[in-house]
Amino acid sequence: MTSFRIDGGTLIDRNDVRRFTFNGEVLTGFGGDTVASSLLANGKQLVGRSFKYHRPRGILTAGAAEPNALLTIGRDGRRDPNTRATMAELFDGLEARSQNCWPNVNFDIGAANGLLGPLLGAGFYYKTFMWPAAFWEKVYEPLIRKAAGLGRASYDPDPGYYEKCWAHCDLLVIGAGPAGLAAALTAGRAGVRVIIADEGVQLGGGLIAEGSPVGGKPADAVLADIIGELHALSNVEIKKRTTVFAAYDDQVFGAVERVQKHLPEGEINPHRAMERLWRIVARQVVLATGAEERPIVFGGNDRPGVMMAGAMRTYLNAYGVAPGKRVALFANNSQAYQTALDLEVRGIEVAAIIDPRTCPNIDYDGKARLIAGAMVRDTAGRKAIKSITVRHDDGRDEVIAVDALGVSGGYSPIVHLACHRGGKPVWSDAHVGFMPPENTDGMTPCGAVAGKAGIADCFADGGVAAVKALAELGVMGEAASLPGVEQTAETVDHIQPVWHVASTKGKAFVDFQNDVAASDITLAMREGYDHVELAKRYTTNGMATDQGKTSNVNAIGILAENKGVSPGEIGTTTFRPFYTPVSFGALVGASKGMDFQPVRKSPLHGWAGRNGAKFVETGLWYRSSWFPKDGETFWRDSVDREVNTVRTKVGICDVSTLGKIEIFGADAAEFLNRVYCNAFLKLPVGKARYGIMLREDGFVYDDGTTSCLGGNHYFMTTTTALAAGVLTHLEFCAQVLWPELDVRLASATDQWAQMAIAGPRSREVLSKIIDDDISNEAFPFLAAREVSMFGGRLKGRLFRISFSGELAYEIAVPAGYGESVADAVMAAGEEFGITPYGTETLGVMRIEKGHVTHAEINGTVTPADLGMGRMVSAKKDDFIGRVMNLREGLVDPDRPALVGIKPKSPSDKFATGSHILNPGEDVSLANDQGYVTSMCHSPTLGHAIGLALVKNGPKRHGEEVVIWNGLAGTTVTGILCNPAFVDPENEKLHA
Amino acid sequence: MSSLVKCPHCGLRPREEFTIRGEVATPRPDAGADEALWFDHVYLRDNPRGEHREYWHHSGGCRRWLVLTRNTLTHETSDVVDASTLKLGERA
Amino acid sequence: MRDYPLENRGAFPPHVAAGAGASISLAPVKGGFVIHLLGDAKSDEAALKKALAKIAPELGADVRKSAPNQWFWVGDADVSSDRLTEIQAGLPSQFALADQTHGRVRMRLSGPSSRTVLAKGTMVDLSADLFAIGQSAMTQIGHIGAMITRIEDDSFELIVLRSFAGSLWDELNHMAAEFR
Repeated sequence: MTSFRIDGGTLIDRNDVRRFTFNGEVLTGFGGDTVASSLLANGKQLVGRSFKYHRPRGILTAGAAEPNALLTIGRDGRRDPNTRATMAELFDGLEARSQNCWPNVNFDIGAANGLLGPLLGAGFYYKTFMWPAAFWEKVYEPLIRKAAGLGRASYDPDPGYYEKCWAHCDLLVIGAGPAGLAAALTAGRAGVRVIIADEGVQLGGGLIAEGSPVGGKPADAVLADIIGELHALSNVEIKKRTTVFAAYDDQVFGAVERVQKHLPEGEINPHRAMERLWRIVARQVVLATGAEERPIVFGGNDRPGVMMAGAMRTYLNAYGVAPGKRVALFANNSQAYQTALDLEVRGIEVAAIIDPRTCPNIDYDGKARLIAGAMVRDTAGRKAIKSITVRHDDGRDEVIAVDALGVSGGYSPIVHLACHRGGKPVWSDAHVGFMPPENTDGMTPCGAVAGKAGIADCFADGGVAAVKALAELGVMGEAASLPGVEQTAETVDHIQPVWHVASTKGKAFVDFQNDVAASDITLAMREGYDHVELAKRYTTNGMATDQGKTSNVNAIGILAENKGVSPGEIGTTTFRPFYTPVSFGALVGASKGMDFQPVRKSPLHGWAGRNGAKFVETGLWYRSSWFPKDGETFWRDSVDREVNTVRTKVGICDVSTLGKIEIFGADAAEFLNRVYCNAFLKLPVGKARYGIMLREDGFVYDDGTTSCLGGNHYFMTTTTALAAGVLTHLEFCAQVLWPELDVRLASATDQWAQMAIAGPRSREVLSKIIDDDISNEAFPFLAAREVSMFGGRLKGRLFRISFSGELAYEIAVPAGYGESVADAVMAAGEEFGITPYGTETLGVMRIEKGHVTHAEINGTVTPADLGMGRMVSAKKDDFIGRVMNLREGLVDPDRPALVGIKPKSPSDKFATGSHILNPGEDVSLANDQGYVTSMCHSPTLGHAIGLALVKNGPKRHGEEVVIWNGLAGTTVTGILCNPAFVDPENEKLHA
Repeated sequence: MSSLVKCPHCGLRPREEFTIRGEVATPRPDAGADEALWFDHVYLRDNPRGEHREYWHHSGGCRRWLVLTRNTLTHETSDVVDASTLKLGERA
Repeated sequence: MRDYPLENRGAFPPHVAAGAGASISLAPVKGGFVIHLLGDAKSDEAALKKALAKIAPELGADVRKSAPNQWFWVGDADVSSDRLTEIQAGLPSQFALADQTHGRVRMRLSGPSSRTVLAKGTMVDLSADLFAIGQSAMTQIGHIGAMITRIEDDSFELIVLRSFAGSLWDELNHMAAEFR
């Protein structure tokens, strides 16, 4: 195999030989190489197959815009598809594979698509897969899915660590070419906080590939001096391998830093991020993103060996790689001639320079033959270019043998970040390109993105831009200058736009990645899709991973040319993040696996674990759900036992997750009176009250108890589910609706370990650890106050409230003591046969008692629907939801209301969500009477029970109904009943 | 990815620290007010192209309710005040 | 049962030890108190500090503003519930207090890399010249709400809800791992 590696190369280290594989073949390159440069050095021009026609494709660029050379790099969880070979750094042991070809890149069966070319034109999918409609799901979509797409993602989890970070600066410089470096130097010297970010491995941009001296010094020495000074400035932060991919609102910029993607497996630090997603907050921004060289659209312009002229120069000067042995250039501008000069300096034959300009004012004194007024109309060669066909200005064709062709169709400023917030780029005839929008608040474009060309002009412009940005920051600055370089008058490159070579023979590609040819764009126009946004979607030009970096402006030019208007009138498609693809790993950051979301643990978590709890996730909380004992293999075994134990003896349950809010202030009582629908103004000290909160639309929001612990001091509990929501709601009421009230809210959920002690023996258990008298007389139902415990060693808050329907208490102690107290309760209860119980038993007992939870409080119910209509105060002037609760529809007696339900035959079961129908009526939602909101097996009654919301339900106790499970297609006969299955007279509560 | 809000109490903070409730409704009517006023307050919301006043809760910071004046077209936030000022004036 | 042994357990399992490295260390702050002070609209910090110095000089006056008219009063001494009752009784009427000693967990992140680690979680700019020693911010570290206070040059104290403490601890350890 021929090596194309020659002398030189500012980026590579020839002492650092690296082995890698390409489609299984072992190759070598050097440290500093990209996969692309090392492939070219090894003579691998053919690297992939195109998306639609499976045409052979080579490496087109040397940077971020690469449309062709997309490889799958790595293996297993570290496999990255669609990696641009031009951006992937070579490391020892790297594995790279071509995509979109089978069985291999040299012999690709899919290439037969090329023969179908005439059928696969613009709008192909829309035209072909029209009918029959039934074919879509079974035939067309699977076919399209199989054929579409580029690389394949790995199914293995990525073992790498990823993270997201924030960064802050006064000035963010995006791009570290001559303009960006000058801006960073200028601002750095002025002492402000600077971040300079560049996607490259090294700072320098165009300076890296500059073959000629700058100000009499070699370009790499000039660059080294600049970098040295930047490193010495402590206020300048340099971010290499960092692509700023988006400009978001409020001067937040998204960037991704490739921290360890370039390292071999063995060198990866598992504790360091593979990639880091930066959110950079910048007061001012200097945009120095440069310009993208454009291809020219001519026949066979996609053949491997056709490359951007500037990319050739980069491979030559930065990587010491010759693009070929005999090279031609096809360029419509003078900048590209630098490539010819550099090739000749390195002794590479330049066969010809084909310039479409008829009278090029070209200052070219090289050896190459200059063919003016000519165009390349075709290329030849099977898997790599062998020759080009040049159409002279007199109409004569000439075939010239070459093994590489450099192309330059002008320069498109990389305006993306200036347009992400909605700005539209502005067409410039002088620059033959779309320039950044004129009004880029807080962002100053400079250098090539602002239309400047050449190292000196760009550097000078960067300094000026930084001085302007510094002035916005209120800081004086002096523009940095390049030593030995005299500032000349701005040179203007006379670029002659060539959107499409008219004499083209064969397929002329506009978008290489999507296989969009010039003929597809003209076809789209003929079919009426001539708006730039429509043309994009109809032809797919500018879609996929490269988002048209090399193709959009040419497509716009072709549209404009065909309509006879300026490209400015056609305009661009919308620029949106991301500038280049960002891995899901970086976007997800550390939030995966167990770190997907935080876990909240109750202060009794350890106690529950020691008692064998099975945990269940409810929101972020881990709650104990049941406590299996030896021999219990099924959750119901445990739950039935727990229920029976609590109903006959005593149990303890962790209720620490309930929301707890301390309420203070002179107007606290008035505030409570306004947020609850029932009266709270006269709640005495030492008492708890059950309260219902409505939403302003009159429906129930949440329920809970609030206790008065002292003058102007209340303690509210909320449901676990709405703990955060209720606090936020109360804050809204206190701050927005009634800021004139003195009320102050403190979340106390985490301060207290709270446990329910329920069952007929609960008082006896608690009496063993509580010093105060808690007899029924001294501490009746709904008593609530601070108590002394353990001989005065601990204070807790005791509440005589009951969710289970049993004689019950809730005791709250400072969280750190929670486990000890729970252990003490277990020890005190041992003689009574105490059991710990979890949320399942809690649920069963509240259904048995007919207590509601958010299964019933589902946003559609009023207090009256829940049988608590009398709680809604008629006396209070105002409370949240008062007015809307009285609306006609909300007081309709036919509304679904809470009722108990049980099967007629005790052995029958039914499901939550089942609908209730009248017997004898059709099984249809048209006859719907309501639905089952909760159900369980009641160990107390020995059969299934449920709660339901049924039309006029409370008046229908004893009525026979049909319980219809529409999903299972089954019906069961049920009987409506009192929802309080257990102790409807509340005798136990008051015992 | 993010945008920033200048909380009058905490300074510049990312959007993730806030919970957005929606448009600042008409003031809460008196209990005896006409039903139409109540329906406006509870249900009617504008969806303008341009300036929009919204309730934002700094749930990940000081837990104060704020009123943002935000342009739905440009996303520019021209004003942020503590929501209690709606009723109390600038004192709060 | 009156003599049942009572243990005040921290939010972390006992095996959690301080993680230290060359440029970073993370350690729980054990003991001490966190008291939430809630003032009315007319309350101000100077009056609060004056009152605290008078009522409880032994507890210091490290008050960290968490919201308008709200502060966390933090110290390393242990405060009994009786002492708290006395302090509440002694406070001017515009201040209420809620003991959060058990509801909040303190931890310290120190070392030259502490800012870099925290920047992985919070947007707040903690650079030395903008975030002075003694300054506090209520913010989010990733998905978890926390109060950050700069204690020394490169040392920050975090106050987090007890139920989230384990998760925050784990996350900080992940974020700091590269500096160990």
